Amino acid sequence: MYVWIWRHLPGNAWVKALISLLLVLAAVYVLFQYVFPWAEPLLPFNDVTVDNGMPVSNGTVAVVR
Amino acid sequence: MARTDGDEPRRQDLARRRLAAVVGVIGELLITAGVIMALFVAYSLWWTNVLADREAKRQGSHVRDNWAKAPAAATGPGALDTKDGIGFLHVPAMRNGEVLVKPGTGSKVLNEGVAGFYREPVKAGMPWDRQGNFTLAAHRDGHGAKFHNIDKIKTGDPVVFETRDTWYVYKVYADLKETSRFNVDVLDSVPKESGKTRPGRYLTLTTCTPVYTSDYRYIVWAELERTEKVDAKRTPPKELR
Repeated sequence: MYVWIWRHLPGNAWVKALISLLLVLAAVYVLFQYVFPWAEPLLPFNDVTVDNGMPVSNGTVAVVR
Repeated sequence: MARTDGDEPRRQDLARRRLAAVVGVIGELLITAGVIMALFVAYSLWWTNVLADREAKRQGSHVRDNWAKAPAAATGPGALDTKDGIGFLHVPAMRNGEVLVKPGTGSKVLNEGVAGFYREPVKAGMPWDRQGNFTLAAHRDGHGAKFHNIDKIKTGDPVVFETRDTWYVYKVYADLKETSRFNVDVLDSVPKESGKTRPGRYLTLTTCTPVYTSDYRYIVWAELERTEKVDAKRTPPKELR
């Protein structure tokens, strides 16, 4: 996969290395800016409130999810 | 003929090379997944703190600017600016300076590196109410991690809430090191689990525990000890000096 990308990059080894670096940085940017903020609420690592998003009736906790 | 002689080994060779290519791609995908997970850890525990601290600082100084601008005469119960934040929480035991307090405990609010007061499932009482429970939530890790050191708070420690006009000095009297995430009773205006049976002016801190997960909730309860008027120089009460 990565070998295939390397082969299809233009230029000599230095140019290829530079383009690869830019591609890696672009990938990290997309991950930090879009993918991780989207994924984070879906993962169960960071709920801090009690009864997060669960409706309550008469003092008892009703679990709907 | 030479052609048929070489056919069989060549086909084997091709199959082997194709298998190696498939295994190689799977390996590369696994490595990539590992790198992405490591990046996610860096994102959660470092980058979200950078963003949240920046945002909290900006919003905090905005609130302080507003306080400084508003003439003293305009301060009344109606003049409260709840959208920007109602004040700052100071917990010396957590060693994290001041935490801006804003309405709501949704992730959008808490991710700004602030503490939020509950509006649901149990509406928080305000510090200036005659009685009630001022219930707060903030992140344990990431997004500012404002309650990261909640486990350092001991009974008797001061918790100070600062508004434009008043310092509310609370004293910690109970905690719950681990409770169910569905335990909404801790937010009651008279939190019975803390041992209280009469209405009073309480404060409740909630966050997740153990660190880096959100399996359980950590609760700290404090009770109002006294209030102090804010003077012209905003001299902090002796607990913060």
